[in-house]
Amino acid sequence: MEPLIQFRSLEKSYDAGGSKFFVLRRINLAIQQGEFVTIMGPSGAGKSTLLSIIGMLDSAWTGEYYFLGEAVHQLNNKKRNELHKANIGFVFQSYHLIDNLTVFENLEVPLSYKNVPHKERVSLVCDALDRFHIVGKKDLFPNQLSGGQQQLVGVARAVILHPKLLLADEPTGNLHSAQGDEIMELFKKLNDGGTTIIQVTHSERNAAYGNRIVQLKDGWVVNESAAATVQSA
Amino acid sequence: MDTIRQDIRYALRMLWKHRFATFVCAGALALGMGANTAIFSMAEAFLRHPVPLDEVNRLLAVVDSKPRQNIEKTSVATATYLEWQEQALSFDRLGAYSWDGVNFTGDGTPQKIQDFRVTTNFFSTLGVQPHLGRDFLPEEGEPGKNQELILSYGLWERRYAADPKILGKVVKVDGRPFTIVGVMGKGFDFPMSAEAWLPMAFDAKQRVDRDDRPLWVIGHLRPGGSFEQAKAEILTIAQHQAAAYPDAYKDWQVRVLPLGEFATGDLTRQYTLLLLGAVGFVLLIACADVANVQFARVSGRQKELAVRAAMGATRGRIVRQLLIESVMLSLFGAALGIFLALWILSVILSHMPPDIARYIAGWKSIHLDFGAFLFTFGVALASGLLSGIAPSLMSSRTNISETLKESGRGASSGRARHRLRSVLVVAEISLSLVLLVGAGLLVKGFNALLTVNQQYRPESLLTLNLNLPELQYPQRSVRATFHDRLLQSLSSIPQVQSAALATTVPYGNGGGTDADRFLIEGRPVEQREESRTAIMETVSPNYFAVMSIGLRDGRVFTDSDGDSTQPVAVISRSLASRYFAGENPLGKKVQVAGSKPEVWLTVVGIVEDVRYNWIQKDALPTLYRPYRQNPTYYTTVVLRTDDNPAKFTSAVRSKIAAIDPDLPIYEVKPLNQVITESIVGISYVAAMMAGIGIIALVLATVGVYGVMSYSVSERTHEMGIRMAMGASQGAINRLVVGNGMLLTVIGIAIGLPLAFALARALSSLLFGVTASDPFAFIGLPLILGAVAFLASYLPARRAVRIDPLTALRYE
Repeated sequence: MEPLIQFRSLEKSYDAGGSKFFVLRRINLAIQQGEFVTIMGPSGAGKSTLLSIIGMLDSAWTGEYYFLGEAVHQLNNKKRNELHKANIGFVFQSYHLIDNLTVFENLEVPLSYKNVPHKERVSLVCDALDRFHIVGKKDLFPNQLSGGQQQLVGVARAVILHPKLLLADEPTGNLHSAQGDEIMELFKKLNDGGTTIIQVTHSERNAAYGNRIVQLKDGWVVNESAAATVQSA
Repeated sequence: MDTIRQDIRYALRMLWKHRFATFVCAGALALGMGANTAIFSMAEAFLRHPVPLDEVNRLLAVVDSKPRQNIEKTSVATATYLEWQEQALSFDRLGAYSWDGVNFTGDGTPQKIQDFRVTTNFFSTLGVQPHLGRDFLPEEGEPGKNQELILSYGLWERRYAADPKILGKVVKVDGRPFTIVGVMGKGFDFPMSAEAWLPMAFDAKQRVDRDDRPLWVIGHLRPGGSFEQAKAEILTIAQHQAAAYPDAYKDWQVRVLPLGEFATGDLTRQYTLLLLGAVGFVLLIACADVANVQFARVSGRQKELAVRAAMGATRGRIVRQLLIESVMLSLFGAALGIFLALWILSVILSHMPPDIARYIAGWKSIHLDFGAFLFTFGVALASGLLSGIAPSLMSSRTNISETLKESGRGASSGRARHRLRSVLVVAEISLSLVLLVGAGLLVKGFNALLTVNQQYRPESLLTLNLNLPELQYPQRSVRATFHDRLLQSLSSIPQVQSAALATTVPYGNGGGTDADRFLIEGRPVEQREESRTAIMETVSPNYFAVMSIGLRDGRVFTDSDGDSTQPVAVISRSLASRYFAGENPLGKKVQVAGSKPEVWLTVVGIVEDVRYNWIQKDALPTLYRPYRQNPTYYTTVVLRTDDNPAKFTSAVRSKIAAIDPDLPIYEVKPLNQVITESIVGISYVAAMMAGIGIIALVLATVGVYGVMSYSVSERTHEMGIRMAMGASQGAINRLVVGNGMLLTVIGIAIGLPLAFALARALSSLLFGVTASDPFAFIGLPLILGAVAFLASYLPARRAVRIDPLTALRYE
């Protein structure tokens, strides 16, 4: 089967006073549809950068990147944006809900950027509110929710358009363990439902929810292993 | 559409959330847009609707000009007009009018009326019909048959109480019977200020006259005819006329103008455009202010914008969202601006004396109409886009992945933003300086006008006009006797120091002056067509003393300068220096061209120049004659009083009525009032420019304060580090104030040459304005610098109070 994501010699670097400072080096990686991959590594290893490149938020890199067989490196910004909108959802450590929008409106945001008609938008948002059991919170603003609730909304927003790929950057980093487990269970369920998930985390406990771990160090992929190995270790 | 509604809803929410900033920005925009809307309404009235006629776009004025003498627009000779009328095919009607002034007597209080002599096709040329009665008939344009008149609606209401049976009534006009045959519609007063129209009849001599130029010609284009065609045709006819009569048309050029442009006048046009430019600058400054605030606001929303991008928002959508916010803000400013414009217009309209307003083409059309609303809406959209585009574009370029990281700062775009904000402040300072200098120079010029007029001590002078009817006062001796009796009688009023006569006093007749040609004995004939012209004044001997006009050489007139003595003249200093350079004019002989009988006047004295209006920058050469040697019909009486001159009005009226009860007197006003009314136009411009200058200064100050204040809050962390490293409070102060002053100095350096260009343009427009005025080019930049210093110092004070420990924790 065609991989969802494939990198060939992907590199990212910055100019640092005449020389190059590499953030990512020769990344060759394939991620299949339906996988739950965890990217781990020490601070500065390039985890979040790799996640941004996968999510097409960062376009300043070299090498080859194929998404569902489409050569992302050959696409212009507009096409990349369309590919991103159609297939990718994001979950952030700090939730990044928009403060001045209600829960309902926050969930509406990605739909409006995909020009989903109003009626359909309302129906999709109501579905999501139902699915994530947050109907009662729909008129509240983010600062009226707990961290766990905010992240729940963040996840709901990320998956409202049923993306093929969900990217999560330290999704439980700001949550206490019970709330974190709840979110991870949710991810597990989504993955079981067919959504490919790539998460960046320092937490081995979270990594255990996935089925593959990619270890980065100083921009290099230093190890790839099944999640169970980490769990048992 | 649906997503735009969503963006609008969100924009409104954001504006409400930051309501203080919203009100500050909307207030700044309201100042800019209110001023623009008010001036636009005035410009629309002056430049687009100066003549309230339906067919104004099909009407043209054909005038003469003499560029060599700086005569841009004057009336034409009768023969010239009649040939145009006969030969020009581009017009279906070509009418003419000439200024007149008559006395209405015999049916109530004698009254001086502003009438116009018009050709019988005048009203049909303009495309108007009387409200009551009929138009003039063609035969009423023949000599001896022109005994009808048409009243204006206003005169019909005022003098005849809107009597519906007025038609057929015979009234005495300058002692002759005229029949009222019509009343024009309400509001029709073309040419400006007309109260009545009398038919014009040309006798055989006038029909071939090419020297006297009494007619203002108006043409109505034939259907399908264009302005260009008509112009080309008239110019061709004029060429033939010049070829046939080279002496009569030497140096004269015909000009064809749209009627609106003709009615507005060059000065009104120039000052209107000046004000439009000035308020345009104010709006730009306000936009720069708002753009700076928008920069600050979107800087605080980087994460939100990055999240939106991560959720799939394209750059275009983010820019649209931010632009909708700034346009909403701008529309709010526009709504406030409309109220401000209404207030500005009501102030302007209510302070203009009616006697002056009726002479300003388009004044009656000044109001906020749909066009003004559309203009404001357009300006609001443009301002919203202008003030929002740079912040939106820059913010939408943020590095998303960097911003979404926990401590992402997006440093590079922050620097770019800071640079652009600095550029905006520099632009604000430059524009403000230009406006301040413009305003300063106008106010200074206006003050110079007031000062120069103090020489007449106008506060104790009463002036009034009278026009002796030709029928009752046909002989020179009768007129001279009347004037003798008049002066004697008025001088006897208690507390009147003296009474004098003149043709026109300074600023009389709204500042209007007529110069006539004169000849100098012994000068070659071929030089006679040079611009040897002067204002002709007929005065009483004591006029110079009453008006405090100093004698420079020779003598002024005496009571013995009478009809039987040697004809004499006194000339002004500028006439002496212009036409008698290097020689002594005393004893030389001059003659007023066309005077009957032709008499040579011996120059017996030279007096100081008099300023007749604010328009002429240079003194106008004047030639004075004693009233007993040249008794005129039209006279201005001047009384020097010991008290408030207005108190003497009724005494003067009764004294004159005792001499001639049928003689109307008019324009009875203290000279102070005459001067004030004459300079009211320029005083409006000066006051408006001063207001605009102050607004610009305030907005620029807000801009500097905003940028420096935001810069301090952005650099709190840096300040903390500097202070932890040992920077003193003075050093921090210098850092912040230095940055602000650097921007100010750059702004002033850019603004000065622009201001100088404006000053040069203004100096050619107004007396008392010089392009190298030290106050404007040293004082005003210093004031701007001082205010900018204060605007930088306040944020600096906040910076030195930063606690280094807190600052180092600051994110």
